[in-house]
Amino acid sequence: MSAGRGQGRLALPFLAPAVVVLLAIGIVPLGYAFYNSFTRFNLARPNDPQLFIWFDNYLTLLGDSSFHDALLRTLLFLVMVLPFQLALGLGIALMLHRPGLRLLRTLTRLSLVIPMATTYVVVGLIGRLMFNTEFGVVNDLIGALGIRPVEWLGDPVFAFIALGVMDVWQWTPFCALVFVAGLTMVPYEIEEAARLETKRWWRILAHVQLPYLLPGLTALLILRTADVLKMFDAIQTMTRGGPGTATELISVYIQRHGFKILDQGMASAQAIVLLILTIVLARLYIRLVYREVA
Amino acid sequence: MRKLLLASAALAAITAGREAGAWTLEEAAAPYSGTTINALFLDRPGYRAAMALLPEFEEATGINVEIEILPYENSREYQVLEFTGGGDLDVVLIDLVWIGEFADAGWVVPLEQFYEDEALADPELNLEGFFPLLLDAFGTWDGVIYGFPFDNYSGVLFYNRCMLEEAGFDAPPATWDEVLNTYGPALTDAASDRYAFALQSMRGETQSADSFMRMLWPFGGSLLDENFRSNLLSPESQAGLQFRQDLMAYMPPGIVSYDHAEAVNALAQGQVAMITEWSSFYGTLVDPSASTIIDCLAVAPEPSGPAGRLPALGGFSLGVNSQSSEEEQAAAYLFIQWATSEAIARDYVEAGGVSGRMAIYQEQDIRDKYAYVDPMVESWQAGVPEFRPRFPEWPAISEIVSEFGTRMMLGEVSIEEGAREIGTRMEAILEQAGYYGGDKPLLQ
Repeated sequence: MSAGRGQGRLALPFLAPAVVVLLAIGIVPLGYAFYNSFTRFNLARPNDPQLFIWFDNYLTLLGDSSFHDALLRTLLFLVMVLPFQLALGLGIALMLHRPGLRLLRTLTRLSLVIPMATTYVVVGLIGRLMFNTEFGVVNDLIGALGIRPVEWLGDPVFAFIALGVMDVWQWTPFCALVFVAGLTMVPYEIEEAARLETKRWWRILAHVQLPYLLPGLTALLILRTADVLKMFDAIQTMTRGGPGTATELISVYIQRHGFKILDQGMASAQAIVLLILTIVLARLYIRLVYREVA
Repeated sequence: MRKLLLASAALAAITAGREAGAWTLEEAAAPYSGTTINALFLDRPGYRAAMALLPEFEEATGINVEIEILPYENSREYQVLEFTGGGDLDVVLIDLVWIGEFADAGWVVPLEQFYEDEALADPELNLEGFFPLLLDAFGTWDGVIYGFPFDNYSGVLFYNRCMLEEAGFDAPPATWDEVLNTYGPALTDAASDRYAFALQSMRGETQSADSFMRMLWPFGGSLLDENFRSNLLSPESQAGLQFRQDLMAYMPPGIVSYDHAEAVNALAQGQVAMITEWSSFYGTLVDPSASTIIDCLAVAPEPSGPAGRLPALGGFSLGVNSQSSEEEQAAAYLFIQWATSEAIARDYVEAGGVSGRMAIYQEQDIRDKYAYVDPMVESWQAGVPEFRPRFPEWPAISEIVSEFGTRMMLGEVSIEEGAREIGTRMEAILEQAGYYGGDKPLLQ
């Protein structure tokens, strides 16, 4: 007992720096945002008192059709890009998992890191150039196929698709690497035995490899969902949320309230709703998808 | 007696000498030599012009001016965070639509306290030498001067004279009606990617100021009525917005994603024949590295509508941060006074700036050299200072206008629905701000 207490005393100074830092940069600002969400607080009105208004900001949000639209648009974006990223990622992972061509596989794995290492702002700028109507490479490519130039960033539907293409380009490699890691976990003997049983790759995938891929898949679902809900920089540089509101995902909407209108109370309430949504979705993924390998 | 007379004469001579040539920038700045002041600039021609002349000021005064350059879209946010976070900004950049907000919040100092201080005030300051419309709109709130006009714009019509002549026009359109019904069809050929007109309409202040409001005033419409209720459903406002919708037939597709740069570039590359843009883009349009139409470029006042010629008005004044120290405030004032003075107006214009001083535009050589001068000066004779309301609520209202303004253009909401939605949301903001309670003056 006294040893335990001694250990506790010893652990304290080791843990304290991490806890203090976490408190300072994570928990305290979150608490402050939570408090702000119950107040009327606009940075541009320093002479107005910060009134405590209980749930007024949240009630306003319930009736704000622009907020609902931005949220739905974000979920639509997630539903649009995620299947592509997972399917393409899995395809790449399965190809990399095949034996042979060791050097080429290593090079491919290395090159997969490049899109992920590119900052969002740069991805947005590249997208803006690639999808430019006059001199963008995308219109050049489809022009070679005899298709008329498309007004990518000036048309609501095409702008949404263009943004999705850039997101798929950037994050498919991440999915591929996570799946590759999952595939390497499959015990060699089991996979070998299965290969003797059947030549059909999808049966091996479904019955042997899939259980090992599920933890990675759950992580991917959680991370990508959180990423899309937070997605701001690439949109800001590529379309600034336009044309109209076509690519205004929820983070762009919140940033507009927080730093254009400078309404910290309302922006905090929106951010808290987003946080709750992220947590609910993460729990849902874990419940529905995650399985421990027996 | 003789001695007394001599002494009096000497004293009189000294006093007269001091009165005649006493004030110099060097002497006024002597107590602040070595002071560093921070200013926010934009990456636009007027600011580059001031920066080219800046060494002259620094050498004369010993005051160091540190300049931060930001895109327009981030500049208000940056300054508000500087004010609320106790930053070190001294020279405040005030867009015409921010003056109410900055003044009401007490972030900028009334300049009176400096220009009435004999040690600081240049005897040749001549406040009457500014265009009254500019000093009133950019620098004054509730009768108090907070800034001197520095970067001054009027909307003007830039057009490609050669394209117009090819289509059989020997003069630019005088009315918006002509733009739509005569020039539009004649100058548009979508198959070869040629369009009559481009109206920069990107989401943001570009949409609300350059696109939406531009079409209200000439048609007799306005954002607010005299009671600060929405006036967007009035027949005149609806006519203006409908006109914009109709005119889109003669604009490049995707016009809703055009910011200033895209619209100016479309004219500069010969894709469109006419744009209504800020006078300050003249420099870009005559720059051989950016423009292929230099010989064809011509400038005219914006077309007029049924309610007359009411072109877009925009610009910035420079003010002094109320949180700066006394020395920094004095040094910042000296810089502002110098940068907006009549004495450097010629150098400023020749370096690419647009001065707010009347005298410089009476010089014949300046009028001959810069084609934008006459249309711009004509536009500044009469204008609407509240072209966009200048009260503190504008930034929030501008976001709403720009959201539904772009959605109207895209056909996602009808003009009437969009106008109603903007009206409802705008009135909610004004209600919360207390304008309908009767105790807050209806200032815009």
